[in-house]
Amino acid sequence: MADTPEAVRKSIRTYLFVGAVLFVGTVLTVLVATVPALDVGHHGFDVWDAILGLAIASTKAALVAFIFMHLNHEKKAVYWIFGSGLVFVIALFALFALAKYDPIFDNFFYDPTGTTVKPMAL
Amino acid sequence: MEIPFVVQPRKDTGLFNSKIAIWLFLASEVMLFGGFFSAYVFLRLGADYPWPERTLPVLPGLINTFILIGSSVTVVFAWASLKLGHWGRFKIFMGITVACAAIFMVFKGIEYNVKFHHQGVRLKDYTVIEGHLGYEKENGKPVLNHHGKQIEENQILIETSGLTYNTVRFHKPWIEEALTQAKHRGSKILLKEDVSAVTKPGQPAETIAKAGEELSGALLERVKTAHLAARAHNGKLRTSALRQEWKEAKAANPGKRDWQISSGVNIDTAALAPQLLTEIPSVAFKVDPPSRFDFKPRDIKHGETQSRLRDDTTVEGKLLDSPMVFHYVDAIDFRHLAMIAVKKGVDPITAIENSWLIKNDEAAREAWEWNKLQTARLEKELLEQYGVDEKTGKPKREPTAKERYRIGWKDLVAKADGVNRDQQKVTIKEEFMGPDYQGREAKHTFPHLSVPRNEIRFASKFTPAWNTYYAIYFTVTALHGLHVIGGALVLAYYLFFGRKMYETNPEWLTNRVEVGGLFWHFVDLVWIFAFPIFYLM
Repeated sequence: MADTPEAVRKSIRTYLFVGAVLFVGTVLTVLVATVPALDVGHHGFDVWDAILGLAIASTKAALVAFIFMHLNHEKKAVYWIFGSGLVFVIALFALFALAKYDPIFDNFFYDPTGTTVKPMAL
Repeated sequence: MEIPFVVQPRKDTGLFNSKIAIWLFLASEVMLFGGFFSAYVFLRLGADYPWPERTLPVLPGLINTFILIGSSVTVVFAWASLKLGHWGRFKIFMGITVACAAIFMVFKGIEYNVKFHHQGVRLKDYTVIEGHLGYEKENGKPVLNHHGKQIEENQILIETSGLTYNTVRFHKPWIEEALTQAKHRGSKILLKEDVSAVTKPGQPAETIAKAGEELSGALLERVKTAHLAARAHNGKLRTSALRQEWKEAKAANPGKRDWQISSGVNIDTAALAPQLLTEIPSVAFKVDPPSRFDFKPRDIKHGETQSRLRDDTTVEGKLLDSPMVFHYVDAIDFRHLAMIAVKKGVDPITAIENSWLIKNDEAAREAWEWNKLQTARLEKELLEQYGVDEKTGKPKREPTAKERYRIGWKDLVAKADGVNRDQQKVTIKEEFMGPDYQGREAKHTFPHLSVPRNEIRFASKFTPAWNTYYAIYFTVTALHGLHVIGGALVLAYYLFFGRKMYETNPEWLTNRVEVGGLFWHFVDLVWIFAFPIFYLM
């Protein structure tokens, strides 16, 4: 482990700072979701709120992963192991794009006489 | 035996072994939770009902987020303290971490408990009503079931004259309950006719139970024993008789295939009859005098004159009015109804005003009128503040479907307090535990409501059964909760039993704490996504 006592001593301020950022990030997520003046996109929940909320969450998650879990300075093996897990998850989510082409979302599937084809609203 | 690479890194990986192990585990965990989060996306996109967005109270979730983030910081400090050789500080930081985990679980427990006591009902016309049920009372005193617990006013009531039990499938606690109810109403459940059966081959029938004997688990057990013995005996006899028939048929028809002779192979039932024992698949009882029994809706398939319990008990008697009685309605939700109306091309407001609830309940009508005024006010405010989109000519911001069609408990409170929807303040306790019903009773804030049984489409507590949102919410948060418990147990082990290792091999303990900490950060990481997704979106 590269973390010598000196390096750890130096990192303590970083840990505190990241902790503070995580708290602020949490408050921010709640504020943009509950205070009307900070509402992005249309009034109420919509796709922009989802993007903003997930962006804040992803930033927080990245901070935890890189600083607290030391992914900013790890050995190659860890990146390979964790990265392969992530790839599968990303592939799983990428399948949603394909779900659009699933025939069960095709109106013809239920109504052979139907004339309009509406893809699933993603 | 010495375990290799607990402190020294391996040459090929550059890491000590447990670190490789925890990262392998975390990779699998990412895929596990990734699967559930993707399930959430699918359920939400494919939902055929309005997704209950932003329905959970934010405060408990927010506090829990703070607790988990805080514990993530302290677990890093615990590790850093060991690295710097401060055992005392390690104990403090690790202690805080474990305490945070415990507080997290307590809050989670409160949240779950509140939900499990919250009733939801979807009516035939898709109006959704939420709230708390009343309890059965007589002369002002609660009626108790055989467990000594209060009975919710959500029962199927039957003027019962007879009960026929399946001798194999009967469920003992329900027998206890039937006896308790009969006693309470001054009735007796008595055996209708003698139960007599041949219990030994070739002997005359003997009486197992006499008409007029009172229902009891022991009585049914006795019949069950005789029935099962008879069934086994008869089965054996029939099988051996059939074997014999086949043997003879094969001998008589050499060279023929089984299917060619099978139609001629039959048991001589008349010859077998004297050897058989009597099977008693069911036992009938009469309720004397006939009286009202109540059954949990999920246990019974009710009919006008005959009903059937899940354990195959037949209940004879007339179905009485069995309304579901809300002692406090705390939300009226027309979103689903409006969605269906729009699909059919009907104006949602007209559909709502023609719904059973609005037509039959004064309080609901008042709440709806109030809500319409509030929506109109909000619509005007949004128009004034944000103006009109020049391209489409429509207002830039409009009230959401939730604001238009859902009247939640805070709205009911605002209405009773005579303030506007957004000016309503509720206490922190209420944010956690739900509305203070008793405290607000004087103003009749929450209406009482009796819903006739035939208006109900589906009813459930706020459990995974209520809708797919709660199903995935409970799945993910419960799985996460199990991780919190597991992680806390490991960290607590280092805290309480780590001293000895610290004295003999402090680096090993430090590495262990690092690995435990990695898991703990992952648990925090999952919650970082779960909180906004379930509480804020």
